[in-house]
Amino acid sequence: MQSIFTAARSTHLALGRRAFSSTTRRWQAVPQEKPVLMKEFKIYRWNPDEPEKKPELQSYKIDLNQTGPMVLDALIKIKNEIDPTLTFRRSCREGICGSCAMNIDGQNTLACLCRIERNGGKNTKIYPLPHMYVVKDLVPDMTLFYKQYKSIQPWLQNDNPPEKGICSLLRFFRDLDCEFLQSPEDRRKLDGMYECILCACCSTSCPSYWWNQDSYLGPATLMQAYRWIADSRDSKAAERMDRLQNEMSLYRCHTIFNCKSYMHTYHFSSRTCPKGLNPAAAIASIKLEMAAD
Amino acid sequence: MAKSGLQKDVLHLYRRALRMVRTKPETVQPKFRIFIRHEFRTNASKVSPRNVSFIEHLLRKGTRQIEQYEDAGVKDCFVSQEMVDWNKTQPDFKRGR
Repeated sequence: MQSIFTAARSTHLALGRRAFSSTTRRWQAVPQEKPVLMKEFKIYRWNPDEPEKKPELQSYKIDLNQTGPMVLDALIKIKNEIDPTLTFRRSCREGICGSCAMNIDGQNTLACLCRIERNGGKNTKIYPLPHMYVVKDLVPDMTLFYKQYKSIQPWLQNDNPPEKGICSLLRFFRDLDCEFLQSPEDRRKLDGMYECILCACCSTSCPSYWWNQDSYLGPATLMQAYRWIADSRDSKAAERMDRLQNEMSLYRCHTIFNCKSYMHTYHFSSRTCPKGLNPAAAIASIKLEMAAD
Repeated sequence: MAKSGLQKDVLHLYRRALRMVRTKPETVQPKFRIFIRHEFRTNASKVSPRNVSFIEHLLRKGTRQIEQYEDAGVKDCFVSQEMVDWNKTQPDFKRGR
């Protein structure tokens, strides 16, 4: 018994020496706790299973020092620890999937890219994307948005694919379809458009889209339309523009610029696009091309 | 009695759903019919006719659902024991058709 005790003590001491702590107790000291910083989140709640209840804001208080830096971290913490019934979409938590688009303190943005304001006195209000039908809590109904995206035929259309075998040095590959080649300048035209993740932040911030969702395509979809019109490999630009040639689809854009990212604006700080893109510029380019036709 | 726009919307959806049933294989049509009737009748008795926003929500949900069921690839649907029991308590409307 005695020998076991001494053995244990000597290992403790040995470890202590290695960790530069003078006593065993010091070596086992717990890390210093951060002060408690409580913050209130007011979150839109509506449950379709309780039809009598109207939508309401529910308040949650969490300690910011026990939470990650982004609003999505706070939401996940609330869902894990306080209220498992809170419903929201999330997937990648790093701003590439576009699932967690919501209205945070009046701005449409991705919860995973939006920092929590650490000013303790103020609360943060979280709503679903404005003017979208709500499925539950923070989950909007995106059916129409995706339908509109589908309507612009967002895929490469070209009747004259490059000839087989031309670009391939190896005979072995000669039966495979060849790739479409593109010059760096042509490729550069797509920069600022191909990055769009279709989170619908810009479309749902556009008043024109609010009032004419059924017929106006909205900034996100129009930017994708231009992404295919501008693509040098696509040969159906004329048909694509023909489809937009009516009063509603495109020309309901009255250059309100709510869709613009703050990086491109200097006077107003509407920073809608979480990816820093500029749908308004793409829409302007479509209008220019259609006018020049 | 004159019907409101909302009532008409619901009836249009119900009609569309019942017509969808007739495009399905004959053997499973009764199952589809039980499912549709159960869905509409239970919701109709559960929700107050004044709760317009919720009825609109159900309409959107139902339209989305029926769009999927109308797909020719859908050849069968699930009917729970609860639905079958419920169906036995209902008057028999020309079930053979």
